[in-house]
Amino acid sequence: MILFDFEHESSPSAEAAVARLNEVSEETRFLAGGTDLIPNMRIGITKPERLISLTSIPYAPPTLDAKGWLEIDALTKLSEIEHSKLVGDAAPMLAASAHSVAGNQIRQVATLGGNLCQETRCLYLNQKHDFQFVEPCFKRGGDCCYPFPKNKKNVCWSVYMSDIAPVLMALNAEVSVLGAGGEVRLPIAALFTGDGLRPHTLNPGELIRRIHIPPAPSHFGWGYHKSTVRGGLEFATALMAVALEVKAGGLVCSDARIAIGAVNEGPVRLDKTEAAMRGLELNPANLRMLADQASQEVNPLPHHGFSKPYLRDNIRVHLKRTLSLAVERAGKGLKENRS
Amino acid sequence: MRDATAKARPAPRLITLTINGEVREVMVRPRIMLLEVIRDHVGLTGTKDGCESGTCGACTVLLNGKPVLSCITLAVECDGKTVETVESLSEGGKLGDLQEAFLDQGATQCGFCTPGILMSAKALLKNNPKPSLPEIKKALEGNLCRCTGYNAIVDAILQVSDQGVAPLMK
Repeated sequence: MILFDFEHESSPSAEAAVARLNEVSEETRFLAGGTDLIPNMRIGITKPERLISLTSIPYAPPTLDAKGWLEIDALTKLSEIEHSKLVGDAAPMLAASAHSVAGNQIRQVATLGGNLCQETRCLYLNQKHDFQFVEPCFKRGGDCCYPFPKNKKNVCWSVYMSDIAPVLMALNAEVSVLGAGGEVRLPIAALFTGDGLRPHTLNPGELIRRIHIPPAPSHFGWGYHKSTVRGGLEFATALMAVALEVKAGGLVCSDARIAIGAVNEGPVRLDKTEAAMRGLELNPANLRMLADQASQEVNPLPHHGFSKPYLRDNIRVHLKRTLSLAVERAGKGLKENRS
Repeated sequence: MRDATAKARPAPRLITLTINGEVREVMVRPRIMLLEVIRDHVGLTGTKDGCESGTCGACTVLLNGKPVLSCITLAVECDGKTVETVESLSEGGKLGDLQEAFLDQGATQCGFCTPGILMSAKALLKNNPKPSLPEIKKALEGNLCRCTGYNAIVDAILQVSDQGVAPLMK
């Protein structure tokens, strides 16, 4: 049971939901799968007075548009993405990341848009504040960051844990956001502020409507790794997504994108390492050098008991393997290989 | 400006659920979870209330045939839907094949997680009558068991799907 009352209504369409949210005066949230929002309401991180449910809005299955871009409705369930043949063929890294989210029961109801809009996490924040952890931190309107008491005012080191956002960043995806003024299309990176207190740039009354993924070029390779302790039903310790292209007939990198997730307040691109990769032959010695460089470029927040040096080491080791896998796939020229 | 009715307590709403083939009508406020309807309003206490945060899987039920966590599912969201709980597995006091296989393999100790695991297994076997070992493990990743170590549970599913695992107890 949630320990406070709230109103609940269903919306027949995304446009109606946005119009309704802009019309009501009380604090209102959209409800899709609810696998992040409902537990957060249970422990009191958020206390909306009204929920507008999006679950009865019909949505189309993933499609390819005229230019070959993969279009996925934000209300698509993660289990549908995981099992979609089209997604598996056109963007296997996205299917792999959807497959790695939480557990089966959660993937049955959790949506793609909801996964991107999830709240940041921190061991202190994600506690019910009724017994031991009673003092509110900055994120709950308090005046101290209790896990990191030396933090300056309103600096929140909570971590953004989406498994899918780094993949979409590596794939150069775009996102359509529906607001009161209509729909705008943005690069996925524009969704994130990098601020733990307010991790998304979306305003109240704005809604992610669909995701667009460009077609993979030839000689494209991808690698995805989610470091976890148990291997299932878990948020990531660190998460890496690699998308690269090699020049025909060799292993010289012509373009690369590396996104790291679950170690900062938002997903991060490794610009310097990407720049160093371009024009470089991706042999094992160079991959090791790139992974070393990447682990120094990323600046992980200590989270959930993992220290900064450990997270750097984790990224160094697993990014090397992820890069090798991506190079192997690119070398084969396969676009459709799945892990 | 907030209108005068905004702070009024939301009125209970009548929802209709088909639970294990029986149509039930219950009055719920929006904050009530499906799990509370099943256990407290309808009285089917086979479904267990574990972590209440969507972490342990003990509350797994099938909602329109799909395994979901009833502790983080609002009851008002389930209006008009079909729910299957662990009680649907037995008929007339006789355990179903899946439950018998769990007994045969000793796949239950304290038993608290078992109703959720049975429903996850039922959902798996409905779509995939002969699941492989990795498929079974993936399907059960959302169910935590602190007693058995999982091997007996996996064996029970292999047994009931007729994949060469013999009953231990017979």
